[in-house]
Amino acid sequence: MIVADKKPIEEIIEELGAHEKILILGCNECVTVCEAGGKKEVGILASALRMYFLNQERDVKIDEETLQRQCDHEYLEEIRDKVDQYDAIVSIACGVGVQFTAEKYFSTPVYPGVNTCFMGATEERGLWTERCQGCGQCILARTGGICPVSRCAKRVLNGPCGGSSDGKCEINKEVICAWQLIVERLKALDRFDDYEELSPLKDWSTDRAGGPRKVVREDVQP
Amino acid sequence: MGLQQKIEAKEFVILAEMEPPKGADVSRMVKNAQKVKGMVDAFVVPEMSNAVMRMSSLGGAMILKSKGLETVMQLNCRDRNRLALQADLLAANGCGISNVMVVKGEDPGLGDHHQARGVYDLDLPELLAAIDGLQQGRDMAGIELNGAPEFLVGSTVEAGARDKSPELILDDINRLGQAGTRFFITPPLFDLAAIEPVWKRVNREKTTVIPTVLLLKSLGMARYIARNVNHTFIPDTLIERIQGAPDKVRECIEIASETIRTLKKEGFGGVQIATIGWEDKLPEILKRI
Repeated sequence: MIVADKKPIEEIIEELGAHEKILILGCNECVTVCEAGGKKEVGILASALRMYFLNQERDVKIDEETLQRQCDHEYLEEIRDKVDQYDAIVSIACGVGVQFTAEKYFSTPVYPGVNTCFMGATEERGLWTERCQGCGQCILARTGGICPVSRCAKRVLNGPCGGSSDGKCEINKEVICAWQLIVERLKALDRFDDYEELSPLKDWSTDRAGGPRKVVREDVQP
Repeated sequence: MGLQQKIEAKEFVILAEMEPPKGADVSRMVKNAQKVKGMVDAFVVPEMSNAVMRMSSLGGAMILKSKGLETVMQLNCRDRNRLALQADLLAANGCGISNVMVVKGEDPGLGDHHQARGVYDLDLPELLAAIDGLQQGRDMAGIELNGAPEFLVGSTVEAGARDKSPELILDDINRLGQAGTRFFITPPLFDLAAIEPVWKRVNREKTTVIPTVLLLKSLGMARYIARNVNHTFIPDTLIERIQGAPDKVRECIEIASETIRTLKKEGFGGVQIATIGWEDKLPEILKRI
């Protein structure tokens, strides 16, 4: 899933400036799972903002709405009839949702209420860790299902580097060396010979090099 | 008089682009540069323009400097992060290179190593701020330097580009000027009318605008640019002129010289002559100005 983290409320208040009719817009997907932008967080943010504006003796209308997704036309259309009632939207979906909402409602300012961080997994409640950077050319088959692009600080493709010590990364003793994990996993799979093979030069043109990416699937297009 | 003094004195400067080799043999670059020694004020050494891998600008500039030639080193945002950019600026200044020109750098996808990752850790205003900081004796982390470098800083601006609005260009000039840019090099210019909307409104006292004069090599090249290069305008009359000339190369050289003469007369700060591979034609162009 896409993992996001809450923005400090002070930053959101600053973004909102003098707006007086604000819609807080949540998303029922990834940001709900990582407890940053779902229905519950919409309620918490709306309450905090109402309190703030009340203390400031400002009459600001704060409404709440949570869509199934903010990255699909059909769900974003659900608010079309009411968008005109607001002079700003705070989207607490990921950056995709914020942008898609802004594209759809072109004349309404849309502000981000979360920081979108990475694609990751829930290790335990309240702990999400990165697993994928969407480099566009998956090499997990060669690395025992552990991604050095997203999990190695240097994105080393033929690791470990000299900074790996006792299975930990030089950047932080709490960070496990991704290549240590790869080696252990290849051994467990009885594929340690794969480790001896040098990784071919990575083609970063499927990553961000070459500009924004798209996936076209003619077989599913209408 | 050096490049900086000439720019400060508002004298017309002549820069010549000198591509470093794709390889370690620098003899041709050195020979071509030496042929016009004394006729140009400085050689601009591009930093892997069009994202094509070749010798670095720092290396090329140091080699030319060792032959007693003044250079402008280019720094692009594409290939280095903030550590490497600052390190190379210090290295350049330590080696006596004091003219730098900052550019964004084309995306690696356009070059000959299209699978490479672009860095773009810093944008142009940020890089300019970093240079300013170094000159004030501190790096980007705020740590004091053992000796501050001094630079004459230039950049590019899309003045005269047919696909850019003059307002945006003027805004760019203001922003980059405030960030420390002392001279601005434009894309190739073939028609004064293309740059007029910017040239009329720019603060000429404060801004040194240096158009690029590109040596056309053939009728085909002129037509290709006219049709496909968005930021360069080549008028039909110029294409017809090359078409009608008995010696097309000679005509192209004359066009370049003529453009330089016109720009000088119009009060521009100078020209950058780009010959892309035909650096041996520089003496002929310069002889006629």
